[in-house]
Amino acid sequence: MSRSRLAPALAAAATLLTGCGIDASGVLDGGDAPTGVAPGVTLYFVDDRGELRGQLTQSSRLGDVTNAVDLLLRIGDGSSDGLRSDLPRVESLGPTVTVAGTVLTVNVPLARRDVGPLGVDQLVCTALGVRTQSGDTGVTHAVVSFTHGGSTEPGTCPAP
Amino acid sequence: MRPRGLRVRLVLAFVLVTVIGAVAAAWASYGSARGSMVDEAQQRATDEIRRRVAAVTADLTYPPDQGALDRLRAAVGAPALVTYGSLSSAEGTGLGLLTGELRAEVRDREALVFQRVTSDEGPRLLVGTPVMRTSVDGARAPSGIEVYAVRDLTPTQQRIDASAEAAVRTSALALPLAIVLALFAAGGVLRPVRELGGTARRLADGDLDARLRVRGSDELAELSATFNHMAAELQDSVDELRRMEADSRRFVADVSHELRTPLTTLTAVAEVLEGEAQRMTPDARESTLLAVEETRKLTRLVEDLIEVSRFDSGTASLRREQVWVRRAVEDCLRARGLLDQVELDAPDDVTAVLDRRRLDVLVANLVGNAFTHGRPPVLVRLRADDEQVEVTVVDHGPGLPEGGRHRVFERFYKADAARTRSEGSGLGLALALENARLHGGDVVAGDEPGAGARFVATLRRFPREDT
Repeated sequence: MSRSRLAPALAAAATLLTGCGIDASGVLDGGDAPTGVAPGVTLYFVDDRGELRGQLTQSSRLGDVTNAVDLLLRIGDGSSDGLRSDLPRVESLGPTVTVAGTVLTVNVPLARRDVGPLGVDQLVCTALGVRTQSGDTGVTHAVVSFTHGGSTEPGTCPAP
Repeated sequence: MRPRGLRVRLVLAFVLVTVIGAVAAAWASYGSARGSMVDEAQQRATDEIRRRVAAVTADLTYPPDQGALDRLRAAVGAPALVTYGSLSSAEGTGLGLLTGELRAEVRDREALVFQRVTSDEGPRLLVGTPVMRTSVDGARAPSGIEVYAVRDLTPTQQRIDASAEAAVRTSALALPLAIVLALFAAGGVLRPVRELGGTARRLADGDLDARLRVRGSDELAELSATFNHMAAELQDSVDELRRMEADSRRFVADVSHELRTPLTTLTAVAEVLEGEAQRMTPDARESTLLAVEETRKLTRLVEDLIEVSRFDSGTASLRREQVWVRRAVEDCLRARGLLDQVELDAPDDVTAVLDRRRLDVLVANLVGNAFTHGRPPVLVRLRADDEQVEVTVVDHGPGLPEGGRHRVFERFYKADAARTRSEGSGLGLALALENARLHGGDVVAGDEPGAGARFVATLRRFPREDT
């Protein structure tokens, strides 16, 4: 009884002891690739018909939401290529951006009354666009918070 | 080589099961531990690379120049390789492990991929990923930048080895425990078996009261109960047989006693008739003498039967007295008119403390047997030492029948089946043996070389001190 049945058990134990280690594998899927490179940042302006249009600013890099919003505010209400901004020009302190859950909040150094609905959409679209380009799918809504006059409801970008 | 004994086999089986169980458990836990440790290491490495790349892409010049590639490569951490078209930035050893297969998969899948390889330096994890461009509407496309990194899996390998060693150690620890448990279990199983064997031996030795203790309600208890039942049945059967045998012996004794009184009368009448026989006609005389002879035989048979019954009922007693053995033997032979026909070889001065009547019966039966079944001359030899007296009777007949050494002492044993009617009662040798045994002796039958049958009766010369 003993020998004939003990031998396979010992062989199994030996295999176990010698079979330690990490074996080679084929090429396996590790999930989504990182993203976030872009030739520039897309800012949203208002066209002749009063609709939002994205325009690529050749900055050679995407940058973050704060940079994009800051750039948008510094351009101000000047216009080019038939596009105009519905936002007042800001020279003072730049905007700040915070994220809580799925909602991104843009704090702009403006009063509520200085900004129209199109201006708010410009801010929301620009912020969410940068967020999307940087690979963040967690944020879905944006809020514009004003120095005076409170803040908007969480919204999404109406532009196509 | 088969292991002997239930205990050894039980222990071996127990240890074998334990070893197989421990090995299987260790193997399974080791396998799952190895899998999860490798998975965890891979997950950590790929997440780290994805996180590091994503942390710098937003500030990376695009399309990238050599400086941008260097920054990205530095962010990923060596050993790493970053390519964009014909530009590339590399640092660290082991980048030669990066296979064309992996690069092709990076381009085809447009996703982060990895591959485990074994190198001379140990196990390595190869990670490759394209950096994607995402448009504002979420559409992704390859940017042309590809990042490759090589990560060392040796620490993971060491952790896996440590866990394997721990598994082996645990298994080894289980082994002595298994042996101890097996010995306990074997003891528990084997003790009732040993008791069963002991009780069976006592039964075989004649102790019909031997029983097992029935404990619990398992198969062994059931076996014990069955065994006890068997013993009880056996005892009942033996008791029944003994009772029946006692009944039949009592019947024989009763019949013999009942026959004795009429036989006494019959014998007296026969003797009277014998005295008158001379005056009868020849025919009548012959019949009368035949009747007288048969009456004497019948009387002898009944007396022998009564004697045998006494032995059977255990009421035969020994009345020892000082006996001159030679004189007693001579008296015995003389009383039966055989003194002249027997050659007596006996020293004069042998005395013993025996039952004179029983010695007489013993010698008479042995000598009578020699004359009826053997042929003269018959030799009676008497010898004695400090312990015992030995009486040997030798005849010159054909010797003992085939296989009759013990059977001649059986009651009514017929050596020759054709001879239905023996000269004696058929009880003579049986009585001789019983008488010898009552004296603490024996009778042994055999053949005397150059003569016929030989019967050697040995009797204890003096009573034992304690009787």
